[in-house]
Amino acid sequence: MKSPFAYQPRPRPLQLASPGAAVAYLGAIVVVAFLYSNPLVLAAAGVAAVTAGLLAGARRAVEFALKMGFSLALLIVVVNALVVSRGETVIARLGAWPLFGEVNVTLEAIVAGLSMGLRAAVVLVAGAVYSACVDPDRVLRALRPLAGRSALTATLVSRLVPVAAADAARLRDAARLRGPGAAPVGKAPLARRLLAGSLDRAVDVAATLELRGYSLDTPPARARRSRSRYDRRFYAVATLVLVAAIAGKALGADDFQTYPSVEIGFGPVSLGLSVLVALSGLAPWRRRGVSSLSRIARGNRHGEVARV
Amino acid sequence: MSELAIRRGAAPALAVHGLSYAYPHSDRPALEDVSLEVAPGEFVLLAGRSASGKSTLLKAACGLVPHFHGGEIEGEVRVADLDAIAAGPGELAAAVGYLAQDPETQVVSTTVAAEIELPLEMRGDEPADRARGVEEVALALAIPHLLDRSVDTLSGGELQRVALAAALVTRPRLILLDEPTSQLDPVAGDELIWLLRRLNEEWGVAVLLAEHRLERCLAAADRVVAMESGGVSFDGAPADFLAWARDADPALETPAARLFTLAGIDPLPVGVRDARQTLRGIGITHPPNRSSRRVSDPHQSDPALEVKGLWVELDRGEELRDVLKGIELKINRGERVALMGRNGAGKSTLLRTGAGLHSPVAGKIELDSIALLTQNPGDYLVRERVGDELPGEAGAAALRVLGLEEKVDADPRDLSGGERQRLALAIALAGRMEGAQLPGVVALDEPTRGMDRARKDELVALIADASSLSPTGGSNSTGAAVVVATHDVEFAAEFAERVVLLGDGVVIADGPAEEILSGGWYFATEVARILDLPGVVTAEQGAAALAGEGP
Repeated sequence: MKSPFAYQPRPRPLQLASPGAAVAYLGAIVVVAFLYSNPLVLAAAGVAAVTAGLLAGARRAVEFALKMGFSLALLIVVVNALVVSRGETVIARLGAWPLFGEVNVTLEAIVAGLSMGLRAAVVLVAGAVYSACVDPDRVLRALRPLAGRSALTATLVSRLVPVAAADAARLRDAARLRGPGAAPVGKAPLARRLLAGSLDRAVDVAATLELRGYSLDTPPARARRSRSRYDRRFYAVATLVLVAAIAGKALGADDFQTYPSVEIGFGPVSLGLSVLVALSGLAPWRRRGVSSLSRIARGNRHGEVARV
Repeated sequence: MSELAIRRGAAPALAVHGLSYAYPHSDRPALEDVSLEVAPGEFVLLAGRSASGKSTLLKAACGLVPHFHGGEIEGEVRVADLDAIAAGPGELAAAVGYLAQDPETQVVSTTVAAEIELPLEMRGDEPADRARGVEEVALALAIPHLLDRSVDTLSGGELQRVALAAALVTRPRLILLDEPTSQLDPVAGDELIWLLRRLNEEWGVAVLLAEHRLERCLAAADRVVAMESGGVSFDGAPADFLAWARDADPALETPAARLFTLAGIDPLPVGVRDARQTLRGIGITHPPNRSSRRVSDPHQSDPALEVKGLWVELDRGEELRDVLKGIELKINRGERVALMGRNGAGKSTLLRTGAGLHSPVAGKIELDSIALLTQNPGDYLVRERVGDELPGEAGAAALRVLGLEEKVDADPRDLSGGERQRLALAIALAGRMEGAQLPGVVALDEPTRGMDRARKDELVALIADASSLSPTGGSNSTGAAVVVATHDVEFAAEFAERVVLLGDGVVIADGPAEEILSGGWYFATEVARILDLPGVVTAEQGAAALAGEGP
């Protein structure tokens, strides 16, 4: 089964955008998540990341990331509540625990954990949208002029991971199909077999690379221009979000305090920034009109007019 | 020689002189004093049994031998006048393209366009030239609609075309192909061969194609080179090759040639059209039908496998898809059934559901016991001694049934391909037998990939034995039901008495093998296509039919 986070080409603005534009846009949302602790702004960043993913057609990636994000957030809340005893509002006195000492669960520690968990969830969702919507080949190609061999090695690894996953699934199936009279297959023999198979696969892929001319000592090829008409939109939204986030920080939009008591700011600056950040999730929206998008996709692929 | 001279074809596309080669740590040479030339624009078919040296010769022609594999080499290999032994595969990449059996390991990028562009990028071509190269080769191979697709969403046939496009994008003078159709269904396999012929004719690309299913590509070839034990045993025209194979190695005969041999008709035909012309020339147009093979009664009351309204839904990456759509099927003990259909038709899914690897969303499969051998027998072999895979009496019984009791101390990696397959089957059977009695159903998924004719004959005999042995339990004295999912129509005609044809998750035809394999075009044997007689699918049946109205 294919990973929900695997890149899937689609004729949507986020996938058609150049890697730089997509990274700038999703990166701006992540920057907001790291810059702010105010749950309102963090929730807005989360809404933006989820909306962007859904508009880009990465529903499965968003769903999986949300599940993972919420699980992680819950873990952070529990750990923070047990470890941090600061705060005025004690809601449970759990007595003395080994290693932890006296454990008092406070409302403030829970809210602080929620804020940190929310931040982690936002970063996870944005990362999932990036993984599902940004072509790794284009990213690595953009990096090749800087570090050609490393970029190609990274490409190979990204190719071998799904192949190894498919091999592992096949081996597990074969283990299940063994007759009850055959020696059972433990994890160690299976892992050894998978490793041996992966080495064989790696040799095959390396042979293919040789045949594609990998060992040629040619100067790095110039990257193909890969801009789309959506680039400007994503750069503009990213700039707007970043400028607003920095300005908002300066104007006190991050008016959130957890200790000694919880205080969440709902002032106009916080609200305005939150609305702006949430609306930035609409950047990957596209007008209906598949034929025009197909044309864009082809134009984007070709990039330039060939010299004849 | 200048690049212009090379492009114009002044030198042979491939010239091999006195080539001998041994892999590292091998005590016998894989190639021994091989000499041959492939002219520019020539289509050469490389025939021979497994381990005869075909793949090694192809690897030597593209520089992987010795540069990638190591070993000891003697002699001369020149590709478009480049010294292939001195130059590495990278330098040769501009002059030669190579396509191996498994397309899965021949793609290194995430998207199709990136994969095809990679060789041009490695060569340092300018962006505009790369864009044009990708577009042209995509158009030539009819895959422009795939360019924006992710490689892991492609079917086997599509992936093979993408790998071929990546091999052709540098416009090489020679393309080497190692059993490229072995994983393709008959439709995709035929399409690939005719695509190669078109490239050969229109682009002037010389083709050196190693293949076991000679009937599929002999008609497209200009010349045949047969190999045996690392040497060239025949080099000549396709018609002469058939005459040579008749005497020297009948395992290399095509079904059409075998039909003519048995019927005593000359000259031997290189393809269906050729055969029909010859038959018309001697006045044979409609021989009488002599179908006589036994077919079990499908209404027999002791089914080994009963499928009732089976629906199976699988996750295909993007969304859940119904792979089986209400299958109804009953297979009796002792029946030999070929499960056929295009890639993705649901053959493997049906077998895997029977073996419990998938759960139905509706309907059910009823069976006593099943042993399933999947497409890669090597997946079953995880230990370094045969006896360690199959300990105890149950293991010994399985080894005895498969004729491997002598190999109990061998390392599975040292076994031949056929023995490894039998060992994997023994592992699947162990503990599911009572003494020498097999389980109710023995299922094999694509067991003939990469097999030569001799090994297929061994497998046919094994299947015949399995279907005549007593199954576990029950009072019925007939054997196990043997169900084989296969693309190989000639193999199906040899072993099966019944064919179930699947199409997009439903049974679209179910009947006697002679009827199904003679009633279509793609899922029909070569003999059936020549004679076009209901019920005549094998060379023996065809010869019997021709004997009724002989020349």
